[in-house]
Amino acid sequence: MKIAVAGKGGVGKTTTSGTIARTLARAGHPVLALDADSNPMLGISLGVGPEETDALLAARQALDEGEAEHEPTAEGLVETFGTDAPDGVRLVVVSRIDRPDPG
Amino acid sequence: MSRSPLRIAVVGKGGAGKSVIAGTIARLLARRGHRVLALDSDLMPGLAFSLGASAPSEPPLNDAAERDEDGRWRLRKGIGAFRAVTRYSTEAPDGVRLLEVGKVSGSEGRAPIMPAVQAFYRVIHRLRRAEPLREWTVVGDLPAGPRQTAFDWAPYADTLLLVAEPTWKSALTARRIARIARARRDPPAVVVVANKVTAAADRSRVARMLGEPVAAAIPADEAAATADRLGLALIDHAPSSPAARAIERLVDQLLDSRLPVVSAA
Repeated sequence: MKIAVAGKGGVGKTTTSGTIARTLARAGHPVLALDADSNPMLGISLGVGPEETDALLAARQALDEGEAEHEPTAEGLVETFGTDAPDGVRLVVVSRIDRPDPG
Repeated sequence: MSRSPLRIAVVGKGGAGKSVIAGTIARLLARRGHRVLALDSDLMPGLAFSLGASAPSEPPLNDAAERDEDGRWRLRKGIGAFRAVTRYSTEAPDGVRLLEVGKVSGSEGRAPIMPAVQAFYRVIHRLRRAEPLREWTVVGDLPAGPRQTAFDWAPYADTLLLVAEPTWKSALTARRIARIARARRDPPAVVVVANKVTAAADRSRVARMLGEPVAAAIPADEAAATADRLGLALIDHAPSSPAARAIERLVDQLLDSRLPVVSAA
């Protein structure tokens, strides 16, 4: 299944997403958790901790700032901009903030 | 009493309490004699509730922008920043004027309020210079997260009120916003406000997680939660609640410049 979670700031999107991802993983589903928020915090709710959550964003930003090569494949993106969260969930940050698209 | 205008933008993570704090500060400053313009740059419902104002039903600024010959947006001919504010803002209690970027209802299709967004962005970039707006106090409520700060949606702000709950999500968000704000050419003073504080240790916890001193702490307050649930302004619903009192002290600090401001790095 493919689920997107949306809503106003502070209502609990990230907490809901993280809990759903972990629950599905425990039920035996292979789970890819995508953080597409311009302020990516899903790592916190998945349980990877604040340092790792911030480190993922830094990896994503290094790309925007031209310090890293882009990954041409989906598998490469999952590898480079992702980390392993508990219960076998793979977390990937697919957003950026410091250099948002111009205009 | 000093009436020098304050220009404040309130930023932070979703749910941190930005609108409640912005709305209450705007009302309190108006009561202290300031001419107050409250800005809501969120496309989703927000500040009007916390100000105790009724929101305009249509995005009023949609009439204020036009395209030039080259297709670039500009304020419509004959409409300067001041006229835009007087014509398209709405009245809130205590004499506060509320200017909204406009709300997306979801039924209009794509980019329905682009003229309003364009007009709003141009107006806020003139608030520091345009007469007589430069004498007005401005309190801006930004949407959740760092995005608008990165896009220069608080160019008027001399002071950035960084609202953070004692949670990691809130603290990491605040850190990111502060980093982006300090990259501005003339960076604003950053004032950290710890909100929904339950224990004495929460205040120092926020300071530790952010790596910045906390200027003011606002207690977790059932009255504030109830006001939000009812869609009422805190200052109307529970003016003597602990949260309202704490925001009042913050306003006094802002007026007296007694805040431990984190200078631009």
